[in-house]
Amino acid sequence: MTIRVLRGLAVLTAVLCLAPAAWAQSGATVTGRVTDVASKAPLVGARVAVIGTSLVTATNADGRYRLVGVPAGAQTVRAYLIGYRAGSRAMSATAGGTETLDFEMSIAAFSLDEFVVTATGEESKRSVGNAVSTVDVSPLVATTPIANMSDLLVGKAPGVVVLPGSITGAGGRVRIRGNSSLSLSNNPIYVVDGIRVASDVNSSSIGIGGSSPSRVNDLNPEDIEAIDIVRGPSAATLYGTDAANGVIVIRTKRGKAGRTVWNAYTEQGTITDRNKYPTAYRGWRNTSTASNTTQCLLNQVVTGICAQDSVSSYNLWEDPESSPLGTGSRNQTGLQASGGTDNVRFFVAGEFEQETGVYKLPAAFANRIYAGRNTTELPSELDRPNALRRVNFRANVNATLNEKMDVAVSTGFVTSRLRLPQTDNNAVGVGSNAFGGPGFKNYTFTPGGAPARNNLGWRASTPDEIFAFTNQQDINRSITSGTFNYRPNSWLTGRAVGGLDFIARQDTELCRRDECAYLATIRTGYKAHNRTNFFNYTGDVSMAATYTLPKAIGAKSTIGVQYGKDNNTRNLSYGENLVPGSTIVSAGSIQTAGEATITSVTLGYFAEQQLSWKDRVYLTGAIRSDRNSAFGNQFARVYYPKVSLSYVLSDEPFFPKGFISSLRLRGGFGATGRQPGGNDAIPIFSPSTVSYDNVDSPGLVLSALGNANLKPERSQELEAGFDASFANSTINLEVTGYSKRSKDALINRTIPGSVGGPAARFENIGEVRNRGIEASLNVVAVNAKSVGWDFTISGSYNKNKIVSLGGTPPNRGTTTSDIEGYPIQAWWMRTYTFQDKNGDGLITGDTASAVRELFVTDTAVYIGPSLPAAELTFYNTFEFFGRKLRIQTLLDSKLGGYQLNGTERIRCDNRLNCRGDVDPKAPLWEQARAIAVRVHPARTQAGFAEKTNMLRFRELSLTYTLPTKLSRVFGSTRSTFTVAGRNLGIITGYSGIDPEGGYFGTNVGVQSDFQTQPPPTYFTFRLNVAF
Amino acid sequence: MHTPNVLGRWLRPLALAGVLSATACDSILEVNDPDIITTATSTAAALALRNGVVLRLAQSMSGGGDNPDGMFPFSGLLADEWQSGDSFEQRNSTDQRVIATTNSFVANLFRRVHRVRIEGASAIASLRQYAPTPTSNIGLMFALAGFAENQLGENFCNGIPFSEIDNGAIIFGPGISNDSTFGRAIAHADSARAWIGGTDGPRITSLAAIIKGRALLNRNKPADAAAAVAAVPTAFAYQITHSINTSDNATWLQNISLKRYTVGNSEGTNGLNFRGANDPRIPAGPTSGGVSFDGVAPYLSQGIWVNRTDPVNMATGIEARLIEAEAALRADNIATFLAKLNEARATKTGLAPLTDPGTADERVNLLFRERAFWMFGTGHRHGDLRRLIRQYNRSANSVFPTGNWFKGGPYGSDINFPIPFEETNNPNFTTCTDRNA
Repeated sequence: MTIRVLRGLAVLTAVLCLAPAAWAQSGATVTGRVTDVASKAPLVGARVAVIGTSLVTATNADGRYRLVGVPAGAQTVRAYLIGYRAGSRAMSATAGGTETLDFEMSIAAFSLDEFVVTATGEESKRSVGNAVSTVDVSPLVATTPIANMSDLLVGKAPGVVVLPGSITGAGGRVRIRGNSSLSLSNNPIYVVDGIRVASDVNSSSIGIGGSSPSRVNDLNPEDIEAIDIVRGPSAATLYGTDAANGVIVIRTKRGKAGRTVWNAYTEQGTITDRNKYPTAYRGWRNTSTASNTTQCLLNQVVTGICAQDSVSSYNLWEDPESSPLGTGSRNQTGLQASGGTDNVRFFVAGEFEQETGVYKLPAAFANRIYAGRNTTELPSELDRPNALRRVNFRANVNATLNEKMDVAVSTGFVTSRLRLPQTDNNAVGVGSNAFGGPGFKNYTFTPGGAPARNNLGWRASTPDEIFAFTNQQDINRSITSGTFNYRPNSWLTGRAVGGLDFIARQDTELCRRDECAYLATIRTGYKAHNRTNFFNYTGDVSMAATYTLPKAIGAKSTIGVQYGKDNNTRNLSYGENLVPGSTIVSAGSIQTAGEATITSVTLGYFAEQQLSWKDRVYLTGAIRSDRNSAFGNQFARVYYPKVSLSYVLSDEPFFPKGFISSLRLRGGFGATGRQPGGNDAIPIFSPSTVSYDNVDSPGLVLSALGNANLKPERSQELEAGFDASFANSTINLEVTGYSKRSKDALINRTIPGSVGGPAARFENIGEVRNRGIEASLNVVAVNAKSVGWDFTISGSYNKNKIVSLGGTPPNRGTTTSDIEGYPIQAWWMRTYTFQDKNGDGLITGDTASAVRELFVTDTAVYIGPSLPAAELTFYNTFEFFGRKLRIQTLLDSKLGGYQLNGTERIRCDNRLNCRGDVDPKAPLWEQARAIAVRVHPARTQAGFAEKTNMLRFRELSLTYTLPTKLSRVFGSTRSTFTVAGRNLGIITGYSGIDPEGGYFGTNVGVQSDFQTQPPPTYFTFRLNVAF
Repeated sequence: MHTPNVLGRWLRPLALAGVLSATACDSILEVNDPDIITTATSTAAALALRNGVVLRLAQSMSGGGDNPDGMFPFSGLLADEWQSGDSFEQRNSTDQRVIATTNSFVANLFRRVHRVRIEGASAIASLRQYAPTPTSNIGLMFALAGFAENQLGENFCNGIPFSEIDNGAIIFGPGISNDSTFGRAIAHADSARAWIGGTDGPRITSLAAIIKGRALLNRNKPADAAAAVAAVPTAFAYQITHSINTSDNATWLQNISLKRYTVGNSEGTNGLNFRGANDPRIPAGPTSGGVSFDGVAPYLSQGIWVNRTDPVNMATGIEARLIEAEAALRADNIATFLAKLNEARATKTGLAPLTDPGTADERVNLLFRERAFWMFGTGHRHGDLRRLIRQYNRSANSVFPTGNWFKGGPYGSDINFPIPFEETNNPNFTTCTDRNA
């Protein structure tokens, strides 16, 4: 199978190699130098291309380039480099002749001639009819507080909404142009140096309550040169099935010809939790004691059941003796080297990173460990249960084999160990026990099978028991890809990309006997040890011909075939009731094992035809066809078309030269999809152990009905917009509108309970629409020799709507529902009104009460979307003192979303310690929502569904570039140091701890602020030294 | 700029791509997933399907798998056997008798009970083809289907839908009354009694007899019920057993291990004093005292199921005697009524013989108290409370917990489970016919 394809690809390559090759001798040679117009310094790595041909090269360390085989006749040569305005020069090439063309380039925030990476290779931005955002990563990571990919992406591109994870190692959620799938993943896919890589956002086989590691965060921002964000199906068509949610295309750093440049950096920082946590309350009556649970709640006061003697309150988060919060740390040290010759260039890098989260075992509980275990040492995993240690290596080599062939090999390796705490929705987690405390400190609690103890304000389990769980994830991951480019002549190029993303993941959880929480059988100890191997293969071969049609119409035709295979295999083992002192599965008296395999294969073909006119009008049409192993046997293949138009209006002779520097109109239509799960189409029995008359025996149960007609979800999108530059490109504006429809939306359709069997099966019956607008305004406000100021305002608005559920009933949950005409997984609950009719300052919702003051709707009503509808970011860069001092700020605002304040909900509903339950001075709205969820028969949580509108001071960094003379004292050519902070402040009306505090459940990714840790604040100091 | 012979040179790679497409596509997409089993066509597979139904029964009644609650404890939560010491809304609202159709625990139970009969039908077909003897295997499948149907009728509202799967195709069924549901149970019990070959035959016979008798009692035919169970020995017990691998005893899990359930003790005025009576049939558990999982509810444990794989009685000879006692009571044969009750009590150390309480109402109270204590936590109590309303003219608020629920707010009015909202995906179903007893 696979060999057959590889054989075919080899034949294809051989044919390309045998293609006519005499062109090199018959064309002209063009050489030259590319420099910065202001400093006259050579620009390294600038691309120089002959327009309308396949000829392209890059400048060396001296800024020089050489192009051979340039076809005779009138030609246009263009030089471009990210961050600079492109330069174009016309020339007349003669066969065998040599021409010299030098370029002086000036800095520009925006250029239509930047190249972006597309599914068919690198393209000039002007030729792409879609909005593609490019994030220039290198300078960002050197000067701003970026610890992971979520930090890197947040607020960097319009339409890309990122909700970062909170605790160290937790993954974030990325949504591009909204949610488009009702049941499948809504995460974008990631492509690194041409190959698809694993990007699972809940990548662990052992849960801690909600937060989960993301494989995206294995990628090291320090290794990345730039990221192109392909936002929707209109642009992502050729990435095939699975690209409907957008594509994050990552280019890692490349070597630049010249002497070896070393870049060393180190970052040290602290992590602090500056959030305000809720206080626990308790209403005392005359029978209350420190060990019983008898208190007097407001609803009981109202109905005369009891009278409150007093109200106490206690906030353990603010008491150093009880608080699980300490000061975390972050450090990162790396060394990168870049260099090589014109023919062979390399980039190698290594980095060590370590981060310790804010959780720390409080001293009072540490003392219990010392006393209980008769020891003076505290294991580090018990003292600091949340920590990450990671080592990255990268080696990238680019080799120009000859003037027709070049090859690039990228290898990245990461090994990491992540330790995660028990938290979130977890009965033995920090949140469950810290938020649920009794409202006073000296709480006498008697866990089952143990003597009474003072819980110091904690609900049941205490930090010494909670932190005794050691949950660990070890990753060894290599991402290796190779790209081979072949240009047999001036009009034909071939490209072959292949690679493997291999991940060896080991998830373990150890609870030593008699050390963890008193719940169920936990105290007998257990060990879970699960090993998973992920293999993600990519093979991609394409050919492109560039030629000229009559009437000066340029043409480029591309065909290609793409192969992708994901194969995950897992072994699970579990041992319970451990021998004292043991830490392995086999030490358990009860042992279980498991095995799982998931495989998915995609084979796609594509063809693209681009027509251009005078290098200013580009019309591109393409089609891709995919087959996938997950499709039902009644569905053969899927076709995805696309068409786009880009028109650089400002290049027209009639366009007035003046205030408008450039203007491009663009639009596109395209389709792509999302594939179902590997076994979703097949009816399946599952094996299971059965106790038959008290003897364990093998059994079979029906676990899936399958669907022979299953096909991919299909998303199609129409987008249009413009890119405009004004005032000599000091003001740049990009505006894009889009309308995206997901048809044949896969709904995990509920099977009625009366059928028995599985609860649901996938059917292609739904339709979802996303409409929105994105805009980005960049302004170079001050551009003096010693002072600079530029800023970027980006905004996006998305309206998500379920158009059809295919005739199926609404998917109603307790708090969220999928209902036609409303957003996916929107908040729907029975709402209420309240009024203090008798003016006693208390709200009663007791339906048996004579005075009813709370009225609940009979049915659930729409409250709002679970995803922010709009995001607005304001990015500022100031430069002073000869531009030696750079100050960068990022303000990030998310608007229009709702969140369930689940932490407060459970405090009011079950822990009975929220202010609205207990304190007669609590605002009426707090009382009302507590009454509505706990006392009123409707038990509605609507009072806890709150707007998450917020303005966050996301980043502040101050970077100072040492004077050259001073740097040279240390043997450095350039040294900078940066002081930076992340998550510095927030303005919000959300009554929970933080509207971004949460974890992400379900494929839709509804955020759960449920006993979850909020984002901490980072302060870092970083030193970069180049030599 | 030159214009090459594009079309000619494109033909080669295009042809190659075509060859690739034609030769590689089908085979390259084949995947081999060892996790899954797509066919079950052998003697061993037929027996494995039978075992699968036994697992489905355990999962639906007394726990196991990914559903922590079985019908036995969960129906007792709606009744007075258990109170919620939990933070889950699904359990709290059930305990408070305000159950939403979107209650996912109810939905899970409803599906699981149906799985017993649906997968039972598949197992019967497979056993007939691949493992026809001993026939008691087939009888067991019929009996379990009948038991599941009887449970549906006892616990859910009128209008229970029954759908089927035929060769992978779903045949949606309409809702039927509780009484018709009991009729299905009786029919399956009768079928079971026709397939009793092999050494397990007598056990299946007794099991089927009790299922039939119980369903007849639900149909308010106590004499017929007594006749059905007359041959069942008092010592008989058919038990659901549990595997440490896949199906922990749900009551142990929720009451002993997690403390999410606490034993009902005169719950809501009408509830029986299951804990306070200190009855040897419901001994105290190992760790009573303190608070439950939610940190609020007082924690009371039971001592019947204190280990994770302790078996649970599904049908017993004691139940047969209780059915006979009820038939005698309804026939106004007080002597036999007391004799049957005391015949059962004689099997348990520490239980003194009962005497006639003197009035009809108190005899009924005595009967149902005996039933409650004998069959505590085995999925009988909720059905009995409904029968008290339906057959003995008691009001709902005189048998179900009522007044103020202990965590706040009044008790609701639910006396059965609603058909879950998920069922609206069934085109032949709209809603419960009624929520009556």
